[in-house]
Amino acid sequence: MVILELGEFTRVEGNGKAEIIIENGEVKEARVKIVEGPRFFELLTLGRYYWDVPDLEARICAICYLAHSFASVLGIENAFGVKVPGEIQLLRELGLIGEILESHSLHLYLLVAPDLFGYPDAIRMASKHGEIVREGLALKAFGNYIREVIGGREIHGINVKPGGFGRYPTVDELEKIDKSCDALLRFAKRAVNIFATQEVFGAVPRYHIATDGYLYGEKLIASDGERFDYFEHIKEKTLPYSFAKQSHYKESVFMTGALSRLMVKSDKLTPIAKELFEQHKEKLSQGHVSLNNLAQAIELVYSLERAKEIVSTLLDHGIKGENVPIEPKEGEGIGYVEAPRGVLIHHYRIDENGNIAYSNIITPTALNHALMELSLYEEARKHYGAVDENFLKHKLEETVRAFDPCISCSVHFVRI
Amino acid sequence: MLKLGVFELTDCGGCALNILFLYEKLFDLLEFYDIKEFHMASSFKEHDHLDVAIVTGTVSCQRDLEVLRHARNYSNYLIALGTCATHGSVQGAVEGKIRDKLEKVYGTRANTMKALDPKPVVEYVAVDFALPGCPYDKMEIYQLLLDLAKGVEPIKKDYPVCIECKLNEYECVLVKKGLPCLGPITVGGCNAICVKSKLGCIGCRGPLPKEANPAGEFEILKNLGYDEEYLRRKFKTFARGELRW
Repeated sequence: MVILELGEFTRVEGNGKAEIIIENGEVKEARVKIVEGPRFFELLTLGRYYWDVPDLEARICAICYLAHSFASVLGIENAFGVKVPGEIQLLRELGLIGEILESHSLHLYLLVAPDLFGYPDAIRMASKHGEIVREGLALKAFGNYIREVIGGREIHGINVKPGGFGRYPTVDELEKIDKSCDALLRFAKRAVNIFATQEVFGAVPRYHIATDGYLYGEKLIASDGERFDYFEHIKEKTLPYSFAKQSHYKESVFMTGALSRLMVKSDKLTPIAKELFEQHKEKLSQGHVSLNNLAQAIELVYSLERAKEIVSTLLDHGIKGENVPIEPKEGEGIGYVEAPRGVLIHHYRIDENGNIAYSNIITPTALNHALMELSLYEEARKHYGAVDENFLKHKLEETVRAFDPCISCSVHFVRI
Repeated sequence: MLKLGVFELTDCGGCALNILFLYEKLFDLLEFYDIKEFHMASSFKEHDHLDVAIVTGTVSCQRDLEVLRHARNYSNYLIALGTCATHGSVQGAVEGKIRDKLEKVYGTRANTMKALDPKPVVEYVAVDFALPGCPYDKMEIYQLLLDLAKGVEPIKKDYPVCIECKLNEYECVLVKKGLPCLGPITVGGCNAICVKSKLGCIGCRGPLPKEANPAGEFEILKNLGYDEEYLRRKFKTFARGELRW
């Protein structure tokens, strides 16, 4: 038996590596090892007062902190039976859109694009393709501006609270968002053209999983038409070689993320995004993991269009800025949110004093872990022996990167 | 050109990401620095001597400790960046023995991946500069790297969040609203950004060294009706080992 070790992944968030197990010249198994240390977030929030919990959960991940604080707030509100009005829902959705813009542009322009253009990183790529890198940075900066306005800071703001917000955005801030959407749309469309040329690789999942709303929801939905709560059909297991667990849907390998959202929710897309989706539908329907990149580029377009819609509605109605008062009581609730890289689940039980009695967090990278291994296995089988080892390693790293994995997130989804 | 390495231990990724959030200013830094290692941003890696090493995160497993030792041994100047590296931050706040925690979370006491009790970088190696913040303000790392490139002694913040809150003329949420704001005992540098959201400081930059009076703050909040256990956990969230009162 030979073990082919892939060193720690670069141009991904967090610390992970992989090994390919080869027996008698044939690829037997692929393992994704998450080597980032465990972080025990469920223990951190256990017994804490609900009000402080979203601020702590945000710290699970910097790239998608708002998805975490929002999922946490939704889980808490559902436990208390609190419903927030349309204005607050729209502002929260706007925050998630900002996060998608920030995260997808980071992934596409700074992490994936160097592979397409043959550079080790975007900084070195900028010497020849400076305008592309700068377009990516402009989109990223805009996403971060929205995160700052809604979330309270670019990273780990604490403005998203159960029942509403600490501070509401001003008219000036919303108008600035409105103007930027128009200006940046051209860049996003260009991204779709760039990533449409990427070669196709990686496994094809049996199912796609997403939330029932485009960016958050009350239940999960799957490509087989099922509408369900996560514990009904998603089963997890622990692995001896990784700090992350693995999940299956109805015993099968599934995917969650931008590609899954487009495959099961394309009816919710905005006009231009929908047109682009139709244009690339045939290709996307092949279902290979690498197409997640093209799907992300289409979502950049969606995000800019949708942000503009939301801001127009808010400006037309004017911001009232009233939080819903909360009476803590015993309860249980789940928050389902679409983080940029897929479904994120926060599940709480809260005691009569408003303190957390149980917490379970399942992150998209954990949900995609099994598919990531399958993709590595298939790619390794395809290339092993036919290409030299360094090229093989490069191909495998590209495959992992397509998932836009967030390893910091994956190391603490656990049940107590 | 100075040689720079960025090393991530266990964390949320935010302190490394925040460097990329410098956008155009990052290109300014590249006038002075050659990046030799930054795995979040680049596949380029050169195991050689470094002038400046930036380390983020806590030491949470054997792998982290090896990366940290490598960064220290290969660098002239080591920056512990962010509250994980300087104080342990949120994952450092989870009390209990490592095997007990593994059992609660993964259902087994076996420690096959060699997890360690999470501790800040400063507890394992000598650091040349500690810049706290969860995350730090990105202009702080920009200034620090420019100072080092120009041979200027970098300045450490030695005032509480309250100073920046007053300069911004925000309403004091502790006095006016009775919110449990940790601004008076937390080191400034964030421009009181959470008080801008009309919420109390949660202490993410760690305690102000020497001058803070946590016992006084604790008494005031207790008199406002906050539960002692609640306050104890709140005080220890980002800097478990440091505050004594």
